[in-house]
Amino acid sequence: MIEIEGLTKRYGAKTAVDDITATIRPGQVTGFLGPNGAGKSTTMRAIVGLDRPTHGTVTVNGKRYTSMRAPLHEVGALLDAKAVHTGRSAYNHLLAMAATHGIGKSRVREVIAMTGLESVAKKRVGGFSLGMGQRLGIAAALLGDPDTLILDEPVNGLDPEGVVWVRQLARHYAAQGRTVFLSSHLMSEMAQTADHVIVLGRGRIIADAPITDILAGATKKAVTVRSPQAALLAERIAGPDITVTSTPDGALAITGISAAQIGEAAAQAGVVLHELTPIGASLEEAYLELTQDDVEYRTEVSK
Amino acid sequence: MTTATATTPAHVPTSLENIHLRFSGILRSEWIKLRSLRSTVWCYGLIVLLTVGFGFLVAVTFATPQQTLSADQQNEALVRAATLGVNFTQLIVAVLGALVISGEYSTGMIRSTFAAVPGRLGAYIGKALVLAVSTFVIGLISIVAAGLVAVPFLAGKDVHANLFDWSVFLPLIGGAGYLTLVALLAFTFGTIVRNSAGAIAAIMGLLLVLPTVLQILSGLTRAVWIQNVVAFLPSSAGGLVFQYQNAVEAPTTTSPAQAGLVDLTSWEGLAVTIGWVLVFGIIGAVLLKRRDA
Repeated sequence: MIEIEGLTKRYGAKTAVDDITATIRPGQVTGFLGPNGAGKSTTMRAIVGLDRPTHGTVTVNGKRYTSMRAPLHEVGALLDAKAVHTGRSAYNHLLAMAATHGIGKSRVREVIAMTGLESVAKKRVGGFSLGMGQRLGIAAALLGDPDTLILDEPVNGLDPEGVVWVRQLARHYAAQGRTVFLSSHLMSEMAQTADHVIVLGRGRIIADAPITDILAGATKKAVTVRSPQAALLAERIAGPDITVTSTPDGALAITGISAAQIGEAAAQAGVVLHELTPIGASLEEAYLELTQDDVEYRTEVSK
Repeated sequence: MTTATATTPAHVPTSLENIHLRFSGILRSEWIKLRSLRSTVWCYGLIVLLTVGFGFLVAVTFATPQQTLSADQQNEALVRAATLGVNFTQLIVAVLGALVISGEYSTGMIRSTFAAVPGRLGAYIGKALVLAVSTFVIGLISIVAAGLVAVPFLAGKDVHANLFDWSVFLPLIGGAGYLTLVALLAFTFGTIVRNSAGAIAAIMGLLLVLPTVLQILSGLTRAVWIQNVVAFLPSSAGGLVFQYQNAVEAPTTTSPAQAGLVDLTSWEGLAVTIGWVLVFGIIGAVLLKRRDA
């Protein structure tokens, strides 16, 4: 369990994180969404004590990270795939990290095998691709078999197989009752991995809800319609909250009315339909909607 | 009697029950980090090579004395041969000392270090200790080796000194100690500046440029206080640590004390150099603790 309490972080005049309060619960995957510069990384860095909060506190399982007896055993964090000396081999990097806690070589070999780094473990990290760097960062996070796993943009630079692996890893850890907190800018990825989502925009929490609520909360559910008599259909279903827009490929995107209602209206008017597809709002759309509101709100404030 | 067959699972996960952060672990970790970088191997290898090389050169080119030298003069010749290289290898340990921490800042490794040791000071002290012990050991080995190489060549010129006579061996230990203190001072600079180029420039400025500039100024102005400032620089004060104690000094018309000049003993020089390390070490520790990584 990660508890963030009134966390504020300022870098000079710039406020990166503005008084956020949130609880990240064990047994589920919590996603952390937000555009670049929203303060996701700053928040995660504050959790593991790399950044000192300007105000507020962050605790993991009721303890501050800096006062833990076995920090790597309690929290495993991938914050930056580049937090490695480029002149050192992956194996020696992990060995040095492990040594601080008295973790043995066998565990180092285990995490190397888990992350699929066997073939490059003895090579210097400077020559690693972004994907291999990510795998090494994840290997380091897993070293202490942590109770809480924090991954900042873990799928960044990973190949499709690696993306699936990270998703399974996160789900697996959560299923064991551990706390999993991961950030991503790939919202579709979050839809498949997270149970709960915290959306951050300009250092503030915009949404903190189960992913199903976030998806359901997206109001603009659209229906794609193809018909040779598109104009007639559009006329028949016209109404106050209903919008009809033509897409470049000749279909209609209709919002504010269900697919069933469109089908019935078409039957009554004798309109031929070639396609009638309800489009569920993607998390991407839901997210854009949320952050857009935030931007609009901010514009009013700054007037 | 039934035989209990133990079922061995195909994969036994490593037990991580009793793991915790410990200082002995930090020392091990820092030792792994130091030995797993090529720059360390290069620096230490070069130190041994240069020190022994200079010992050889000094001994070979030593002019055969016209009359028999006093015991002190013979000892001094050997000490000079063994430690002349220190004047050059101090620059190498300065680079190494700065890199030990500035290399972590420039690559981002420092964030992994602080994630594993969130208290930070443990990692700082651990790093300093590992650097100090390694530098001292390599320094002493190379200086003693240089002395051993020099002994037979000097003996051929009728200069006989026992390397392991305490009065000879003490300045050799002093040479290793001086290298250690220079490495540590550079390490504190690296901590404060957090940038390899900046830290190396700063330590080189202190060891090489500042003494020269001040010497020129004191030559021009003949100001006694400038010469006294020079005496307290790590290069001058620390340089006393590896000098033969009963060195035969050329007779001077006025004693230094009369001219108002500071005249430090070797032990005072050692204390001054340790003082430099402590002052910058504390500044480094405070900044390391306070700044965001």
